[in-house]
Parts: sequence; structure tokens; C-alpha cells
Amino acid sequence: MKAKKKKRQDDFQKVKLKIGKKKPKADNATNTSFRSKAISLPEQLKRDTSGPTTHRNQGINDLLSQLHHHNANVKHGALLGLRELLSINPQLLDSHLSRLLSEVAAVFTDKDGDVRITATRVLRFVAQSVPSERVAPFFPLLSAHLSCAMTHIEVSIQEDAMKVLDVLLEHYPTLLSSRPAVLLTNFLELISHRQNTGGAKKALDSKARTWALSVNPGRAVTSQEWRLNVLLRLGQFLQAVVDERPVEKTDMSHSEGSLDKEGHITSLNLTWEELVYNKAAVNLFEHSGAKPTQFSTFKLRPQSESTGEVGESLDSKEAVQNFAATLVPLLLEVWVEASVNNNSWNNSEAAHLLTPDAMSVMFQVLTILQLLRKLAPHQEHQEALDAWFRKEYLGDFKQHFLKNFPYGNLDTPKHKKKNELKRNKQVSALPMATVDPLALNITLCQVMVSLSQKQELSTESDSSWLTPLRVFAQDTLSSGVKLSSKQLNMLLDTVWKMVVTQKSRTMTEDLLAAIYSYYQQKHLNLQTRSLLLSFYSKLYQQEQVHTHIARSKVLSQWLASLPVQLSQLGHRNPTLSAQLIRSIQAAASRGNKDMLLSLQKYSSELYDSSEGVIVFLPSELQQQMVQLLYFLPKMPQSLLANLCGCCNDGRISADLGASLIRIVHLRSSLSGWTVGSQESAVQDVDYLSFLFSTLSGFSSEKLSSLQDTVDECAVPLGALSPLRLHPTPTDHFKHHWDIVDEVCLCLENLGSKSQCFDVMQNGILRYLAKLRVIPDSTAAALLKAVTRLRDRSVVPSEPILRLLSLCCLSLLALLTTLQQETPETNQKREAIWGSCVSALGAVPRLLRTVLQLLRVEDLTEDELPHLGQVLSMLLQHSPLHNQLLSNTALLQDIIQQLTRYSRSSTREQWMTDLLYCFSVTMAHSSSVHRGSVGMY
Amino acid sequence: MAAPLEVVVSSDSSSQLWNCTVFDLHSGSSLLSYRGGNSSARTLTVLSGSTSCPLSSDQLQQKIVCPGVVTCLTASPNGLFLATGVAEAIYLWEVSTGKLLAVLSRHYQDVTCLKFTDDTSHFVSGAKDNMALVWSLSSVIQLDSNHVPEPRHVLSRHTLPITDLHCGLMGPQARVATASLDQTVKVWELSSGEMLLSVLFDVAIMSVTLDPSEYFLFCGGSDGNIFQVSLCSQTITRDKQFQSGDDGNQVFKGHRNLVTCLSVSMDGILLLSGSHDETVRLWDIQSKQSIRCLTHKGPVTNAVIMLAPANMFLPDSRPALPLPRFSRHVHGSEGDASESGELCVRLGLYTQEEDETYLQKAAKLNSLMNAVTDKSVFGDGENTKVRVAELEEEVQTLKKVNKDLYDFSTQLLTKPT
Repeated sequence: MKAKKKKRQDDFQKVKLKIGKKKPKADNATNTSFRSKAISLPEQLKRDTSGPTTHRNQGINDLLSQLHHHNANVKHGALLGLRELLSINPQLLDSHLSRLLSEVAAVFTDKDGDVRITATRVLRFVAQSVPSERVAPFFPLLSAHLSCAMTHIEVSIQEDAMKVLDVLLEHYPTLLSSRPAVLLTNFLELISHRQNTGGAKKALDSKARTWALSVNPGRAVTSQEWRLNVLLRLGQFLQAVVDERPVEKTDMSHSEGSLDKEGHITSLNLTWEELVYNKAAVNLFEHSGAKPTQFSTFKLRPQSESTGEVGESLDSKEAVQNFAATLVPLLLEVWVEASVNNNSWNNSEAAHLLTPDAMSVMFQVLTILQLLRKLAPHQEHQEALDAWFRKEYLGDFKQHFLKNFPYGNLDTPKHKKKNELKRNKQVSALPMATVDPLALNITLCQVMVSLSQKQELSTESDSSWLTPLRVFAQDTLSSGVKLSSKQLNMLLDTVWKMVVTQKSRTMTEDLLAAIYSYYQQKHLNLQTRSLLLSFYSKLYQQEQVHTHIARSKVLSQWLASLPVQLSQLGHRNPTLSAQLIRSIQAAASRGNKDMLLSLQKYSSELYDSSEGVIVFLPSELQQQMVQLLYFLPKMPQSLLANLCGCCNDGRISADLGASLIRIVHLRSSLSGWTVGSQESAVQDVDYLSFLFSTLSGFSSEKLSSLQDTVDECAVPLGALSPLRLHPTPTDHFKHHWDIVDEVCLCLENLGSKSQCFDVMQNGILRYLAKLRVIPDSTAAALLKAVTRLRDRSVVPSEPILRLLSLCCLSLLALLTTLQQETPETNQKREAIWGSCVSALGAVPRLLRTVLQLLRVEDLTEDELPHLGQVLSMLLQHSPLHNQLLSNTALLQDIIQQLTRYSRSSTREQWMTDLLYCFSVTMAHSSSVHRGSVGMY
Repeated sequence: MAAPLEVVVSSDSSSQLWNCTVFDLHSGSSLLSYRGGNSSARTLTVLSGSTSCPLSSDQLQQKIVCPGVVTCLTASPNGLFLATGVAEAIYLWEVSTGKLLAVLSRHYQDVTCLKFTDDTSHFVSGAKDNMALVWSLSSVIQLDSNHVPEPRHVLSRHTLPITDLHCGLMGPQARVATASLDQTVKVWELSSGEMLLSVLFDVAIMSVTLDPSEYFLFCGGSDGNIFQVSLCSQTITRDKQFQSGDDGNQVFKGHRNLVTCLSVSMDGILLLSGSHDETVRLWDIQSKQSIRCLTHKGPVTNAVIMLAPANMFLPDSRPALPLPRFSRHVHGSEGDASESGELCVRLGLYTQEEDETYLQKAAKLNSLMNAVTDKSVFGDGENTKVRVAELEEEVQTLKKVNKDLYDFSTQLLTKPT
């Protein structure tokens, strides 16, 4: 306790302060003299903040630098990291593309297999996301590394280089094929080696092969598979090169392109201003000279000056030829080895049966041969190249390729197949593991046929070795095997070449018949069908050049079948229809008899107005079909009836209808345009009745059916409109109106107008006079036609005058009921009014008859305003004044009656209007004519 | 010599008295008429040179018996050749001897029209098989038995028969206009066979012509209208739809039936049109008015404005040479002709040397032009020799003077003083 107290006292002891002495420091004073320093571990904490990182916090620069690491695992890890990084941050690609590509390409030749594979993956990833034009500047580097890998001494690196090549082929075929020289040599070196022949030996025979197939026992795969691998890539590569070539013309069409509808000429549009200021250069064309010459001094591609065994580029014929000279012997060796292997394998007499392996090798060989042919930069070079091939290798080809032709598939027992599968898996499955024997055979055909030449007197006949090929093609086509469109195309190409080069009639006939039997199969898809169609139509166009095709029965049979096909096809496939129509047109313009007769036979079906093909097709095709009509030798009545229906139904446009009428007009004897001795296709009687029915606009059945539907008639005016008018829809009315224009024109041009008028008059009386309900379009058309056809000398007969006046009055009455809101009805109003007025003005006594028809006492109260409106409209129309004046008495009478019947108490607006109009008209004309008509 | 007189030659199909009539272009008065049968459409042509008589299928001076119905007939502008279309074939005669030089049967249907270029180097034929063929005359008449003449170009873009064609001026560089029943008129380049323009109309076109400067295209429609298409409008499109009123496209209205023939006067002011409404009309192109209407007795088959040959109006001038008998068979190469002492002069195959190409010519011209400047600067060879000699002489004298000067100065300097 005491101690405690003492302590407490200690605490509160007073500090004595003395003068002159320093003040002691307080116990709790803080010493502020110390300084702090941070411990920093910069290496550990530094982050790559400059860019995004992987999950292991590695930036792209780290990863790229790690690729130089000596340890394979580090490199592998870095590549994996790169891939991760790039997939998360694709924007890195843009900024680091150059370094990335150079570093990744450098490890193509890495010793470690995993690294190489991962590098390939990274490359694939990059290729997927970078377009080829951005890789272009780095591509020389890439291809240098690629060649490095391909020529590497280590076998496995060579094999992996193939994968790199695959990636590049897939994504950058254009870049790869732009500089083919080095790669091609590499390809050769992969499967063969250069023989180090001494100078002496070389001098001995310079033609001796300097390349020989090589076998490397150290490979993981058999040499055959390895070769297949390489050949596959080579094929793809050549394909890319071929694709790069400017597209000229395919084999089948290197005729004169005589009927080239698409037009292969590209236009050059120039603006004068640009030329003046030299902004654009003008191309000079050779034929623009004073005397056109066919020989041009232009060479679009520079002639390569290379003389090396593999040309610097494949741009000249010589380069291609050199390359082929190196490659073809190798290919032949590959072929021979494959077939020898094959034979030793099953050592049976059935040498034509192949294992799948051999088959695919052979297929590749043939594909490459085919591509080699196409490598020729120009069309004329191709022919030269073909000739060269023929000269050099025809014997070899015949000996090897055709020995066991046609090849079949070997039926391997099942357990073997299993083995096969296993092995295939081990070799990581070739892309094209199995090849159809059909494809092999067809390719072989094409390669061989390209060697055949046009038969001339000097050359020995090719037909002996072509026979098996021909038989094969014939059998394949006629047996009805399903062919893919590519195979079919190749086969057709083969046939084409055979037909053109071997000018024998029987052979051509057989081949064409085979194709025709294929053509007649039912379930062909569109592509196949159009392929076959174009084949035939091209053949047909060649007819004149090759006389042996000219009278081919199959061809004319095919032509004759076209109209049937067209009608059967219906509306299902417009593109195919277009093709058919084009062929029909070509044949029709040449006046092919069989085809025309067949067309005539089916014409009524084709041109049926309700379910014929013509109403379903798009308008361009409709037009072509209408043009086909011109070529028909005869147009029977049934066809004309259908055509008339087509014109009237509005399923084809009014323009097209007009041109249809014009074409029928041209083919009638009345048109006047005849050059040479062409018989008229249409009888005059038929033609006139065609025109008349088109004029009336409705078929007789339709008109008679209209008679029964009196109640639905929309115009209720009884006494004012003596005929019941059936209102046609405005668009139909317009269509009919345009057609009627054309019909009137044709009628006017027929020759004698008065006779024509008589004919029309008879027709009208016979068919239309009895009707009680008439469509308004028909009535208007009648008035128009009569007006335009009338000759001054002819006076229309009484019944016709009556009918016309009825029509006229009814139409006028209709006008008063039509609303004039929409522009369409306005058009209709104008058309009706115009026809009425011109008829009233032109046909004598028509106005009088109309006025006589007006019986005011029969009208009901409601109809009076309408009548008044009609009359005032007529009175306001000045061209009619003279005619009205001659009927003044009648008019006065009517107006008097009107005033009497209308309730005089309410003198309505229309009445005042009418009276005013009347007085103005009368006054005006009396002042002119000095007549004395005074009233009101 | 008086100014060349342009006359209108026209014929119709049913006149009783005369076959064709010659009118004065400006006054419209009838000057001459030729009697005979009737000539059908596109079968009237005039041989230039000594003969002044219009030829037609059955003709005044001498009837030429043809193997079939003549569908069209034309004579070359230099008067040496006569081409006729007989059904599908084209027959080519040499006028002076009457020999049948070639029968061309590349068309599949009746030939409707034939035209020569103005320099007689090519001719164009149109037919009912929708095709027009361009033939080079020299290749057609080459003498070779197993060489079948091929057309230089096949113009095959029409879809209905060709009704008329017109060949512009400038020989092989001409433009050709073809009219067709498919309601289009197409303009082609003769030298390349490329289509330059296609104009779509509302009606079938029966006749076509160009004015001499090729500013306008005139198309006679089957409804009697004549359409004028301006070829120098600003819009550059290959396929056009004709609309009157825009870009100087106009319509001449007046005829009431097919316009079968059109012709423009040399100065491009007057347009002549003949129609099936039995009139020939003369139009002022600028104002589109019908100046004159010459009525005929039947559908007009031919109407053309041409320069009157010098001796057309001399009443008693007869052709100096009678027209020979036109043979009906192609002359073989080995001469039955030589027996009668005649010689057949025709080109063999490939004897014609290849001309220089345009570019070669251009290069030559260029070097020529450069040569002129070179010459003016450096002078030519002979002058240079003289000049070199002069210069050498001068150098000699200068050297001498220099030596003298040197000697003098050394003497002066080394003189002991």
C-alpha cells in the first residue's frame, strides 16, 4: 500500500525548474529525429504493365524472348502462353505481328516435336485472324523458314513442315502461289534426290533424268504414304497457283463464244475531264488502228528469261514445260511403284484392282498431271503444252496408265481393313484417306483425252487407245451411277474433247446417246441438270463448225424435248427455265424444224393463261417466251385463245401484252413486213378474232357469267344507264386500256379501214349486242376502237349505233358516280371521258341517238341531278359544240322536261349550273354562227 | 462543175407505171422515173461509176436471174461488187465480169439486210436468225477451194429477227447500228464486234440510220413514229430505255404505219422516211417538222437520199459498158474462164502481207518526228562531216596561234636584258 502510495507520489513529483538550466525533457516526449527507409524488392514486384499478360503474368515481350531459350519446355510453355495471350487479347496481334511471325517461324525448325506442333498451332491461330494482305509483307520470311523446314535434314522436321504448309495453303493460297519457284524445288527434294551425275555422264545424254525417287528407311511412315503426303500438298499448291491464273475460258467453251449471252467484255468508262488532266490513262487497243489486225504485239505477261531447270516462276510456257519435264518422270515412277506394290500385295491376275493406298497415290499423280496442264499461262500456250506432253510422254502414259484401265476397288477382307484403320490412325489420318475408283478413272480419262489431237492426215489415229476410255465414259454415263457434279463436269469435259477431236459420226452419236440417257434420269439435282443442259447447248452452237455433229439424232431429239421439259418444269425453278428458254431460242432462231414443231405442239400448254408456264415465270423470262412466239411456224386457234387470255388476265404486264400482240401482228399476213418467203403463221380470220377478243377484254364465258350476277352490279342507275356496267378494278381497267391502245394500232394498220370496220361491226353485233351487263372497260374500249377505226365514208349501221349510244350514255352516267379521290380513279375517269367524247365527236349521229335515249319522264328523282351533270359536262366540252348545236331542238326539249320534273320550288345547284352552261353555249355559238336561238 | 446534187430515190410496191422515181431533194419535183416491175423492200441500190441506172431485183437494163427470191440487195460504194441475199445465203458478184465470187451460207434464216462499209472493205449482213455477221470482203473473195469464208464477227445479241442495219462512215472503224423486232437498236463497233449501246423502245423497230456525224440515231418504229436518239448525251450506260424528251431524244410523229426506210442527207439537216402508209416524208431534223410529203401508190419499199451520178440526167447517156451476164454458179479456181481468154484476178490465201500494227505505226511516227528535231539540232550525216572538218581546221589554226604566242612570249622572257 505504501509502496503504491510512494509510486503515486513519484508520478506527481513536481519538477523543479531552475534558471540557467535546460528544461528537462518530458518523459513522454517523442524523438522525431529518426528517418524511415522502405525495403524494396524491385525484381520481385515489377509487373509488365505495358500490356496484358497471361495467367502467369507474362507479357508478350517475355514470351517472345523466351522462344530463344535453350530449353524445349520453356519454349513450349512460351508458345502455349502466346496462344492464350493472343486468344484473349487479339489486339496484340496488330502491334506485334512482325516480331511474332518472325519468332514463331524460327521455331519451325526446332528439334523438339512438341514445340514444332505448338508453333504450328500458334501459326494457325494467327492465320485465322489476320487477313492475307496484312501478312503479305512478312510472307517472304515465313516462306523462307518454311523452305528451311522442308529441306531440313531431320526427317521429322520435314514431316512437320507439311503441316505448316497445310496452314499456309489453307489461309494464304494467293501469297504462297505468287512465288512458286522455291517451293516447287522443295517439293521435288522431299520425294526424290538429285543425282550427282558427273559431267561426262551428263554429256552422254542430256535428257537423262537428274532426279530420282528417294527412299528413306528412317521415316515413320512407308515411303508410299510419305509420297502421297507430299503429292497431296503439291496438288493443293498447284491448285492454288492455277486458281491465281487469270480466268480465261474453261475447256468446254473455248469455241468462238459465238452465242455468249453474258457478254465477257468488260467495259471501260472514261470521263473526258479526267483524260484531259491525265488522271487516267487510256488503253490503246490493237484493233483501233486503221486496219484491224489480229496479231497483237502485246504480251500481257513478261517472258521470263529463266533457263534454270525449274523456272523462276511459272509464268511462261517454257518454265512450265521445264518444271513438267522434271516432275512427270517422278510421277511416273511413283505410279509404277504404287502399281508394283499393289501387284505384289495381292499377286493375283486382277491387276486392275487396287488397294485404297495405291488408289489415292495414283489419284494424286493424275490430279497433279491435270493441274500441270492447266498451269499454262495462256490459252495458246496450253495447246502447245498439250502437244509437248503428247510428244514426250504419250508412250509412257499409254503403257502405264492404260495397262489396267479401268481400275476397281480391291475387296479387302475385314480384318485387314481394321489394320488399315489402325495404321491410318497412327499416321494421323490422311485428309483424303479413300478415293473413289470412279474418280480415279474419270481423272485418268481427262488426262489421257487431253493428249489426243485433232485428227489430221499426218498423225496416226488416236482412236485405238481412246477406245477403252470411250467405252468407260459411255458405260459410266449410261449405267446411271450417281456422279458428283465435279465428276460429271470432268466426264463431260472428256466427252467434249473426244467429240471435237475425233470426228467420227458413230462415236459422237454413241457418246451423246450415253449422256442423253444420263440426262433423262429423274432425280438429278439442279446443278447437274444445268451442267448437262449447258453441255448440249454448247454442242449445238458448235454445230456449224463440226459437221459431224450437225445432223446428230440425239441432239435433235434433245432439242425436241426441250419444250416438254419447259412445260413440265413449270414455275419450280426459274434459273433452269431460263437455261431451257435460252436453248430453245437458239434453236428457234436457227429454224430447227423438230424443235419448232415440238414447241408448236406444246405451245397451248406453255402459254395457257391460267396454269401455263408463262404466267409463273419472272418478267424477263416472260418476255423471252413471248419472243419465242415469233418463230412458231403456225399459231393454231387454241394458242391464240390462250394468248388472248394472257393479255386480258393481267398476269403479264401491259407492255408485254402489247409486244405479244405486236408479234402476232407481225406473223399475220396483214402486217406488211415480209422479207423473203415466210409463210404467215396466223390465218387472217383467226388473227381478227384474236384482236377482237383482246379488245373485248373478257372471255365469252366470263361475259355470260356476268350476265347472271345482275344484282351485284355496282351502278344502280336504272333508266339513266340503259346498260348495266360491271365495274372493273382500276388496275385491270388500266391494263386493258393499254392493251386496247395496241389493238387499235394493229387494227388501223391492217389495210383497208372500211373493211376492217365492217368486220368489227359484225363481231360487235354478234357477240356484244345481246349482253345486258357489260364491263365498263369493254364499253370504253368499244367506243375507242370504233372512233379510231371509223372512216369518213363509212356510216355505222343502226344497231351498232344503238349499242354505241347505250354504252356511251351508261359510261357518262358512270362518270357522275365515280369518286375522284385517288389518282387511279382519276385516270379511269379521264380514259372513259376521253373515249366518250371522241366517239360522240367522231361518229356521226351518235350524239343525236344518245340524246334521243334520254327520257326524262322515266327517271326518278334521284337520277335527275346525274343527268343534269352529264349534260352540263357535255355542254362545257367545246369540241362538241358544233354537234350539240345541230341537235339544239332535242336539247331544248330535254332541258324543258328537266325543269318540269325537277321540283321547281327548290331550284338546285345542278339545275342552275346546267342552265347557265346551256345559255353560255348557245349564246357563244349563236354569236359565232349568227343563228337565232333565244331561250331563257 | 455545179454543186453535187442530192436526190431522193424511192420506190413503192404497187405502182403501175414506174418502178422507182427520182425526186429533187429540195423542191420535191419529180425528175426521173424508171419503169419496170416492182422492187421489194431493201432491194434498190445504185451502181456508181459508169452505169447510172438503179438496180433492183428485176431490173430495167437487164434482168438478173437469181436462184431464189431476193430478199435484199446492195452494191459496194466503189461499184465493183454486188451482194444479194437470197433466202439464207449471200451471193456476191463481181459487177464488171458478172462472176459469182462467193456464196456465203452462214445464216440460218432469211437474210434481211446487207450493207457495205464506205470503203468496201467489209460488209455486214443481218438476218431473221437474230444474228448480224461482219464479213471482211478480202477474206471472202480469196481464192481457195477448201477455205470456207468465216465472218469476222458474229453480232448475236438480238433476240428477234434483225430488220435493218446501218453502217457508219470511216471504213473498218465504222459503227454499225442494227434494229430488231425485239424493240431494241444496238450500236456496235465494226472492228472489234463489241456492242457499244443498246436502246430499248416501246415498239419494234423497222429501220435505223445514223446521221453522217453520228450525233443522232434515227429509228423507225412499227407504229409510224421515228425516234431520234442522241448519241452524245452525258450519261454513260450501255443499256438504255428510250424516253422522249430527255438528253435530246425526240420523236418525229407523222407516219401512220411501219416506217420501213430512213435516210439522212449529207449535211445532216434533212431526214427522209418511207412508210407503209404510202408516203415518203422529208423532215427537218432540227425542228422535227415534216417539210414535204411525197405520196406513193403503195407501201414505200425503198427511199434513199443520194448524190446524183453525173450522167443521171443526160437523156441519151447509156452505160459505156453493158452489164455482163451474171452467172449462177461459183467460179472455180481452175478456169473455164481462161478458155475464153479472160483472166480472173483474185487473191490467193494468205498472200496479203500483214500490215503494220497500229502501235508499230505509232512508234514509226514517233521516231520520224524525233528525227526531225534531231536533224535540226545536229544536222544530218553529210553536213556533219563537213562541219567536223571545219572544226578540225579551226582547232589546227588555234593550236598554231597558241604555239606562236608561246614562242613569242618565251623569246620575250628569255631575252637577255
